[in-house]
Amino acid sequence: MKLIKYIALACIFLSVNMSFAQEEKDAEAEKEVKETGHLNDNKFKQLYEEFASPNMYRSASGTPGPNYYQQQADYVMELELDDKNKTLTGFETITYTNNSPDDLEYLWVQLDQNVRSRDSKSPLIQGSGAFPADRVSSFVNDHMGEGFDGGFNIQEVKHEKGYSLPYTINRTMMRVEMPKDLKSGEQFTFSIKWWYNINDHVNDGGRSGYEEFKDGNRAYVIAQFFPRMAVYSDVEGWQNSQFWGRDEFALPFGDYEVTITVPADHILDATGELQNRKEVFSKTMINRYENAKKSYKEPVMIVSQDEAEAASKGFSTAKKTWKFKAKNVRDYAFASSRRFIWDMMAVKIGNKDVMAVSMYPPEGNPLWEDWSTKLVASTLISYSRMTFDYPYSKAISVHAKSQGMEYPMICWNYGRPDEDGTYSERTKYGMFGVIIHEVGHNYFPMIVNSDERQWTWMDEGLNTFVQYVAEQDFGEIYPEAIAPNTKYPSRRGPAKNIVDYMSGSQDRLAPIMTKGLNTYNFGANAYSKPATGLNILRETIMGRDLFDYSFKTYARRWMFKHPTPEDFFRTMEDASAVDLDFFWRGWFYSTHYVDIGVKEVKKFYVTSKMNKEIRDMMESRGMKESDLPPLVYLVEEGSEDFEEDMKTTSINDVVPLQEFIMDNFSPDERSKMKKPNYFYEITFEKPGGIPMPIIADITYADGTSERVKYPAQIWGKNDISVGKFLASEKEIKSIVVDPDEETADIDTSNNSWPKLKKMGEFNKFKDKVKG
Amino acid sequence: MFPLMSMSTVHKFYVSITKVEYIKEEQSLQIIAKIFTEDLEKTLRERYNPEIHLDSKKETASDAEYIQKYLSKKLKINVNNEPVTIEYIGKEYENDVVKIYMEVKNVLELKTFEIENKVLMDMFDEQQNIIHFKNKKIRKSLMLDGDNPKAVLNLN
Repeated sequence: MKLIKYIALACIFLSVNMSFAQEEKDAEAEKEVKETGHLNDNKFKQLYEEFASPNMYRSASGTPGPNYYQQQADYVMELELDDKNKTLTGFETITYTNNSPDDLEYLWVQLDQNVRSRDSKSPLIQGSGAFPADRVSSFVNDHMGEGFDGGFNIQEVKHEKGYSLPYTINRTMMRVEMPKDLKSGEQFTFSIKWWYNINDHVNDGGRSGYEEFKDGNRAYVIAQFFPRMAVYSDVEGWQNSQFWGRDEFALPFGDYEVTITVPADHILDATGELQNRKEVFSKTMINRYENAKKSYKEPVMIVSQDEAEAASKGFSTAKKTWKFKAKNVRDYAFASSRRFIWDMMAVKIGNKDVMAVSMYPPEGNPLWEDWSTKLVASTLISYSRMTFDYPYSKAISVHAKSQGMEYPMICWNYGRPDEDGTYSERTKYGMFGVIIHEVGHNYFPMIVNSDERQWTWMDEGLNTFVQYVAEQDFGEIYPEAIAPNTKYPSRRGPAKNIVDYMSGSQDRLAPIMTKGLNTYNFGANAYSKPATGLNILRETIMGRDLFDYSFKTYARRWMFKHPTPEDFFRTMEDASAVDLDFFWRGWFYSTHYVDIGVKEVKKFYVTSKMNKEIRDMMESRGMKESDLPPLVYLVEEGSEDFEEDMKTTSINDVVPLQEFIMDNFSPDERSKMKKPNYFYEITFEKPGGIPMPIIADITYADGTSERVKYPAQIWGKNDISVGKFLASEKEIKSIVVDPDEETADIDTSNNSWPKLKKMGEFNKFKDKVKG
Repeated sequence: MFPLMSMSTVHKFYVSITKVEYIKEEQSLQIIAKIFTEDLEKTLRERYNPEIHLDSKKETASDAEYIQKYLSKKLKINVNNEPVTIEYIGKEYENDVVKIYMEVKNVLELKTFEIENKVLMDMFDEQQNIIHFKNKKIRKSLMLDGDNPKAVLNLN
């Protein structure tokens, strides 16, 4: 050990001398041009300017502050689905509790269905051009017809005492005026009566609506369907930013009591616990349900395919009412059809049983009966491990053609086999991925209730990250589901999959910290990039233990609350003692990218002969050789002092070094000393703006290799390049930076020394097809 | 919500990515178009034959030929103001995307690069086709859509 220190001392000496010469040169230059000053533009600068100040509502640690509050909106709703006329009618009573310290003059209610009203402005923000040809149906729809009217018909807005309340509708937002201000701590109860025409989601789009089958039956998946309270919070006041169709929601928590009247032969499931199972289930169904509650491995059919197909012929005109209660949810949705097959199984989460449920028309088979419910169960297990135990009683995956959308306890998922029952790998993995993703949304944002309208990445990015973990888990639990693959082929998550996006030209990129509606490449910006960033933190920067603990801490702190981006960023640091400001700044607040390479490798030899640098220094300081302590000198290969025979000189031949060792160490100690014979100065460069750890594989002449890892903070003082001195017993043959492609390095042409001519993706493929 | 999948809903994002790299030493413009298989299949079915299957056991050699045929109609390149022949090399599937490899040969010098990419625009009004161009010196992204399906890069 001491030997290395001794050599290192010589190096320090050498570098002192070099910086001395540098200072002189700088002084000369300064006389000619005066440089301007600058603000702190260090990549490791703390994010005081970007972050909102911590306060009594939100603490600097990232936890809810002592005065944190959130509003509560409780709903009692009576709904009726008219299958014949394709309408939905509702009467809802909202009890709104003002837990904020402010007195409220009015309330804002969201009317999402108005995005489908005839006078909706949503189509107006889409650029459009002339098309040489158009499909006849869309031509008629766009230019000749009146268009479908799917907006809300608000019939009345009334005070609980029965009188009408004044209201103003501004597109998808309705302001309701109260007789007097709603004081802090008070409640206000009012009711809204409404109806609307249900849209055909397959042909007209939308995340809610019906699919019509060839036999005339419809499967309804109904969501964002009722006037919903907007969020009032310490960060936004009223979040009444309009709904344009693509963006999602900000919703307060509340308790729901809902009755849904549908045709008597429909099968229905919804957010919340069914209150009148005996009225709506047959005896057989109840027995099967009891069996399902005890089945942890295989789903139990509540309604079989044969039964669903038989029911499809009925078209009952009688009605049936399903009654539900849901506690502490932020939204409500349901699915209803007589064509639904229904299966369930139990899954143990902590010390509680949760029901994993699937509903699908026969069109979904054989894929859906095989995998949907198992995917739901497996997702709940993975997410519960990464965050908190799933707090609700059930999670339902409903098959709706072309949909992928989440609501509390229930979601719509695509993945439809061809009519002959066969399906491609793409359809299968599409279905697997979407079920895991949408069931996963129960955690983000249904429970960790971030503001989706403002920050798409907070739920989509975090959820896509956990989705990656859950997909990998699923592949391990059900290898037969992914065969012949041995690892689940996740689309989003691995670092190298984000390179295409992050290397795009800058005028087409936006930082993640941009409102979702205003980004160019929404999927990459709000889903893949944040998910990949978290994956890099977990695997490369923090390590799994620190990351997982902190991520879990965030989820638990903000469970059933409304977090902001800062709450997430702060918690990740607070719980791990890893300063991540450089990462948030680079990955979330900027469009910088990662590019790190090895610039050059200099080889040095040891000698007892004084080299030029020391000679020059002695001269300039008027020193004699006797003024110096015993020194060992390093000479760069190819430099002025370099002599060919140095290549064969061993450190044992350097007399002052050898004397020192003999005088200070016992023979036993000497035998344990390392004998470095090769000395290198490796310069790493960083053309990219995001600091990352330097990970390098060093391969030696004897074929062995070693991985070195320097923390990202190595870039703290010099953002452009950094040197590393290595003393080695073996000769270095090659160095490869980021060998496992774990940092999203956008340009790997500078990652190797000596420079490797790497075959690009294109030539690789070309070679392959040529055979 | 789950974006970038084939969905006919309002929140579906119709995007393809085409990477174009000019390698002067090989006098070659190397092109990789990444298109959602689902979207392409739907388009080919509507345009040519409802029985076309992509990336499934049912895919036939003639199904694969439709891709080539379609691309030759929808993707056009001018080099130094002259139309050039785009050679089809092959395709491979990666998750839900089909990667189509094409090449323009004998490009001694690239002064201007003009690309028209109308892929899937005949099917989806909102289709956007992103071009990532790269040579030794620059990287440039272009966004093509129904309004502007064409773009020119001046590389002098």
